[in-house]
Amino acid sequence: MRPVAVIGAGMTKFGRSEWPLLKLMNVASLAALNDANLGDVKVDGVVVANMGAARLNKQTAIASALVDRLNLFPAMAESVENGPASGASAFKVGYQAIASGMADVVLVTGVEMMRAVNNLEVTDFVASLSHPEAEYIYGVTLPGLAGMFARLYMERYGVTREHLAMVAIKNHANAMKNPYAHIHQTVTMEGILTAPEAVVNNPPIAEPLHMFDCCPVSDGAAAVVLATQEIAEKLGRQVVRVAGIGQATDTHAVHERPDPTELTAVRLAAQRAFSMASLTPQDIDVAELHDAFTILEIAESEEVGFFKKGEGHKALAEGVTSLGGKLPINPSGGLKAKGHPVGATGVAQLVELTWQLRGEAGERQVENAKNAFACNFGGFGNNVVATVLTREG
Amino acid sequence: MANVDELEALLRPPELEMPPYPPKVITLASGEKMVVRQLDREEVPILLEAIYPLLWVERDYYDIVSARLFGELLAYKRYRVKNEYVLVGLIDGLLAGMVNGHMVDEKVGMSYHTLTIRRGLRVGSHLFAAKMEYHMDFLNQEEVLIVAESPIGFRRWMIEYPLQKKYEVPHELGGGPSWVLNKETYLAAKPRLVSGSRPVSTQLLTGAQTIVLPEEEKIVAQVLGGKGGDK
Amino acid sequence: MDEKVYGARCKDCGKEMYPAHARCPECGSENLEPLEITGEGKVLTYTDLYALPLDYEQRYLRLAIVELDSGLRATGQLLDEKPKIGKRVKTTVGVVRKSGDRKTHGLQFVPL
Ligand SMILES: [Zn+2]
Repeated sequence: MRPVAVIGAGMTKFGRSEWPLLKLMNVASLAALNDANLGDVKVDGVVVANMGAARLNKQTAIASALVDRLNLFPAMAESVENGPASGASAFKVGYQAIASGMADVVLVTGVEMMRAVNNLEVTDFVASLSHPEAEYIYGVTLPGLAGMFARLYMERYGVTREHLAMVAIKNHANAMKNPYAHIHQTVTMEGILTAPEAVVNNPPIAEPLHMFDCCPVSDGAAAVVLATQEIAEKLGRQVVRVAGIGQATDTHAVHERPDPTELTAVRLAAQRAFSMASLTPQDIDVAELHDAFTILEIAESEEVGFFKKGEGHKALAEGVTSLGGKLPINPSGGLKAKGHPVGATGVAQLVELTWQLRGEAGERQVENAKNAFACNFGGFGNNVVATVLTREG
Repeated sequence: MANVDELEALLRPPELEMPPYPPKVITLASGEKMVVRQLDREEVPILLEAIYPLLWVERDYYDIVSARLFGELLAYKRYRVKNEYVLVGLIDGLLAGMVNGHMVDEKVGMSYHTLTIRRGLRVGSHLFAAKMEYHMDFLNQEEVLIVAESPIGFRRWMIEYPLQKKYEVPHELGGGPSWVLNKETYLAAKPRLVSGSRPVSTQLLTGAQTIVLPEEEKIVAQVLGGKGGDK
Repeated sequence: MDEKVYGARCKDCGKEMYPAHARCPECGSENLEPLEITGEGKVLTYTDLYALPLDYEQRYLRLAIVELDSGLRATGQLLDEKPKIGKRVKTTVGVVRKSGDRKTHGLQFVPL
């Protein structure tokens, strides 16, 4: 297997796009390609991550369309649909193509344009990843699964709504330092939890989860350029090496898991990624976790091995995961505040980590970050991809 | 209403007695304090200025809401709607949103519009709730007739309260079937939808005396909710 | 009402499952028979869901995962005014979703 590096990264601002789907992809892709500054080196592979273009935007085969717009012929190209884990899955496919020798330079672009349809339609679209006969028919949506998970988890580990609010407050504050974030709005404990007005400010979405526990619905695109480490060095780039990728799956219906508070696929994906990278969770300097719901940031921070089970909320309360803490989590603002265009999310996490490792993250820079970790969570934890990136030198 | 000549008096719909809306202050999710207070007729022009750039924003039906509100504000200024009122939400004096409506008679209120400029902080919800509070708690009406012009409005008002259908009564906005908030539904929804405290401190009230408008581009950008594309 | 909800039982090893799979999660056998999901159990977790998909017009929907006494678990709608983790319930079958004229039947849990 040949070593693979990230040599370019770029994204659009997340939020509500006035641009059509393809333009979002073009802009993010060009940002990553310009960042990679390839010169004569040709892109010979394109992988697009997307979950809903067929349904939400009535557009299919968008990888071929991207090749056309960017004039990357005759590069091989395909789209990857793997639910909310599409982004990191596409990254993995790009990695495999290069590591195996099938390609030398691959563009990985994640995109989603969710605000093309109304909120009801979006909620239903995302809910369609749940089990059709055992979950979806009951009106189960992703917030519904997260709410049931949160109730059990909080009862078992003593996590309170205050802890959940801390995740939101932290990630909204981080997003204030990220010009690409969907939401630029600080929130306070008073405003979302303790003031009498909080019942109106922060209404329930799926008890015990409230509005500020849930990510927004976003449009956006993110892209990275992958290449052999040899090409990366030849181009004179700071090498951000793909040190490890792990993926694991779990049952489709959440209730079938032996313990529904365990995110087994998260744990296994992380273990595999760390093992491939020959690193441990303690080696990580900065992480992007899939906080589609605040409870998930806490639960994932335990499952991937940063903290013991039931200790994640304590680390959070102590500031360990804040910018300036020992292990900053979601410096980008996370899905919670940076936004969650589903197909783009996994790629955007890796764009953020590439910037962090290259020291280009501006006000939200984690000092001297060398090893970075991302968890991209598909379904309700039934398909998870973990990635470890390492700065060389 | 000094110097109203006879013809003008005929043109004005006869007014019922209407106690003012006592101002209140609401702590928002951001921790910012929003003062909700009634608008004076002399302040109408500044709201028109705020609304003007939104007349062409199709997103979330801002165009029709703005255009109708524009007319209703003029009608308020010139006494052309019976017992009309306008409430505004102000954060450090900055206009965050507005709502309006009027009294049909002593018992029935008619809700007109809710327009939010500062989005993402439930300002619209707070202001709509303040409007219901005005009709129910201060004008002591029995019901408020409501109609939604946008899906957001429908989801928010019709389902969140939830309102009852009163389809036999056409709503003044477009003549479509009305939905109604009655006293019982109001009291049930009040604890989770109506908030804020009184009295408002002199300092906050003073700060909310003069309405300040955000820059025009900011109004449009906020309403569009963070335009996608380049930073 | 003749509407029923089915999982499956493995004819080779006896493993019960809900929902049904194409192969037995225990022994891998494809030799499965339908198993009616019914009985009593206790609430494992629940939520009041306000972010509803298409087809629902109410303010919220109460959903639960119930652990049946048989050991099987099921997701369904919880028809209980006073829900609590651990509370005893039993299964019923009712209309859980209406899409236009199409009615879908499924599990509803009611307190004992
Ligand atoms: Zn078997």
